[in-house]
Amino acid sequence: MTRYRTFLVLLPALVVALALVAAGCGGDDEGSSKSTGTVSVFSLWGGSERDAFQKVLTGFTEKTGIKAKYEQGRDFLPILRPRIAAGNPPDVAIIPRPGVVADFARDGSLKTVEEIGLDTDALTENLSQSYLDLGTVDGDLYGIVVKANSKNTIWYKPASFKQLGVQPPEDWQGLLQIADKMRSEGKKPFAVGAQGSTNSWTLTDWFENIYLHQAGPEKYQQLFTGELPFTDPTVKTALGEMTKVISDENVPGGIQGVLGTDFVTSIGQVFGTNAKAEMHGQGGFVGGIAIGQVNTKLKPITDIDFFDFPTLNPAYKGALMGAGDQAVAFTSNDDVKALMEYLASPEAGEIWAKTGAIISPNKAVPDSAYPNELAVKEAKQLKDAETFRFDGSDLLPGTLGQSWATTLQAIIQNPDKMDQELQDFQSSAEGEFEA
Amino acid sequence: MSTPAAPGSVVGKPPPGRLARLGRGSGWQGFFFISPALVLLGALLVYPVVWTVRLSVDKGRRQLEPHEFVGLDNFKRLLTDDRRFLDLSEFPPSGALINNLRWIVLYTALCVILGLAIAVLASRVRYESLIKAVIFVPMAISATAVAMIWLFVYSPDPDQGVLNAALQGINSGFDPISWVGREGTVNYAIIFAYVWASTGFAMVVLSAALKGISTEVIEAARTDGATDWAIFRRIQLPLLSLPIAVVTVWLIINVIKVFDIVYVMSGGGPSGASEVIANRYFIETFDGGKGGYGAAMAVIMLLMIIPIMAFNIRRFRSEAVTR
Repeated sequence: MTRYRTFLVLLPALVVALALVAAGCGGDDEGSSKSTGTVSVFSLWGGSERDAFQKVLTGFTEKTGIKAKYEQGRDFLPILRPRIAAGNPPDVAIIPRPGVVADFARDGSLKTVEEIGLDTDALTENLSQSYLDLGTVDGDLYGIVVKANSKNTIWYKPASFKQLGVQPPEDWQGLLQIADKMRSEGKKPFAVGAQGSTNSWTLTDWFENIYLHQAGPEKYQQLFTGELPFTDPTVKTALGEMTKVISDENVPGGIQGVLGTDFVTSIGQVFGTNAKAEMHGQGGFVGGIAIGQVNTKLKPITDIDFFDFPTLNPAYKGALMGAGDQAVAFTSNDDVKALMEYLASPEAGEIWAKTGAIISPNKAVPDSAYPNELAVKEAKQLKDAETFRFDGSDLLPGTLGQSWATTLQAIIQNPDKMDQELQDFQSSAEGEFEA
Repeated sequence: MSTPAAPGSVVGKPPPGRLARLGRGSGWQGFFFISPALVLLGALLVYPVVWTVRLSVDKGRRQLEPHEFVGLDNFKRLLTDDRRFLDLSEFPPSGALINNLRWIVLYTALCVILGLAIAVLASRVRYESLIKAVIFVPMAISATAVAMIWLFVYSPDPDQGVLNAALQGINSGFDPISWVGREGTVNYAIIFAYVWASTGFAMVVLSAALKGISTEVIEAARTDGATDWAIFRRIQLPLLSLPIAVVTVWLIINVIKVFDIVYVMSGGGPSGASEVIANRYFIETFDGGKGGYGAAMAVIMLLMIIPIMAFNIRRFRSEAVTR
């Protein structure tokens, strides 16, 4: 009995101790600290991409004397969300998904460009309107696009095309004819790596390209912002075209092979030393990975090249699907201002472009900054685009982007079940867009 | 008490009053000694559990904090309206919850049976320690590394994947199977990889218990003319029932929270076929920022573990009584 009473006495003490601990963990999340001489930057890149970005940060420190600490996390949301919740976000983050930037902005976690004290006129001078729109949430500019990629590319082997006696196709029918011809010679026309949940985005990219060039930029924007349901007939038509390309006959190992192969391995299936396929339909970054990692003997233009994603509807010939990473600030002080200013400058863009890792969205970065013709070609594609549309699955809020990729995995396995899958996805999308 | 007694000299009966005082004192002292552990357990275990339960009845979006009480809505949606979590519309049912049950049954059964078989068989050969070392080695590899190793083994490209290469070696007309790229094979492929990594644990525990069985019992049985099988079935197995139960409980608890190997090998794919509760929880909470919905999944995991813990505690109590 006495022991029990002792426990009752000590229980409040324990509760108080717990409360203290909890309070200590909470901390204050008032971001506007003073300048400390160090600024932290968070992003996804490791390996060669990290080295490239580190050169930009070194340039920043040399210029301003402010130290920049790079923090990395490939699976970035599970790292950022708890840090924001705990009131300990990085000063600056570079985020590839506009949907996430919008989430964070609406939470009140981000500082607007104005709050940091950046000169908006200088930004508008060097960035095109479509990039500025990407970083704008409810009328306020939060994100500065610092890195861009075209996804309007299909990579191929020029030697292989020559041997087959074909030219890069202009339109979709042309692409399908080339595929037929390759198959009749016992070759697999395409390689796609869409294994698990980390590589399934390759399927969403295929779909987005087809949809953009078939249904057009207007419908595309409506679809990925919740105004047009995924059960719309245009979606089914585009998926029908997609299953013509990604089919059991067209890819090494069939559909199950696609779902058991990761993205980098699939590049190796086309450009590796033991090639098993002929073309690769993913974005501009394929070139860098193929030359830098998969097969260092590849020579740009002669061994590896790309052509524009073929037209499905001539009315939308000039449309381009691409992606980009935005720099956003979680805190606001002089160091953060200096870094954001630097990242937006042509100077940083040039250093970064020289590494071959990125295409700079900055108009003032000259073509001569790029290390090879493929990068120049991609930069030109981005500059010349009549209509730019962002990677749609990255625009989707919450977990919808991932869930759309999962839906596509199901559809390429069972095209018959397309209606049910689209219906299911649409009902979860409605809940997400409402919130 | 004029002269301090040497320790151990208090063998006689101490005066009753002193004993009572001692008893009361040790209550305080005991509490004093366990209080650091209590504070740590409270802060790092009890508090987060309470917080999670609170979140599970909340909308808890974005900031992973409660902000709108929704009652049992999260649970209702989870169990009736989330095909990735539980899909009863078709037979056989699917979803993360069903996959977790599949894991519990298959993984636990395979680990225990293989572990027991290896422990018993190895004890009969001279190079026992070598065999046991080899089986135990995967235990020293992190789940992530195990996942990477088996991804290579399962690769659909026979130039890379040992399994498909071997099957093609046996039958040259064999069409390579993408073990983790097919809805029908992905779960079994991952479960097998994890069994490979954990059988060593079951084997070591059961092997040690096997050594504890007195040789006299075995010899007596043999003198009575018992066959090897009868010795195993009627003597060793009953005497091993406690360690087998311990291993089984440990494996079940371990597998209800299975995450890392699934995350690396399939991320729950293709098309959600290999989802497990912990992976859904991770994605909803940290990718989607739906703290409340994710917490509801965590609570379901907790509810799954409670009966097993209860069984475990009750068994320990009955053990203590028989002793």
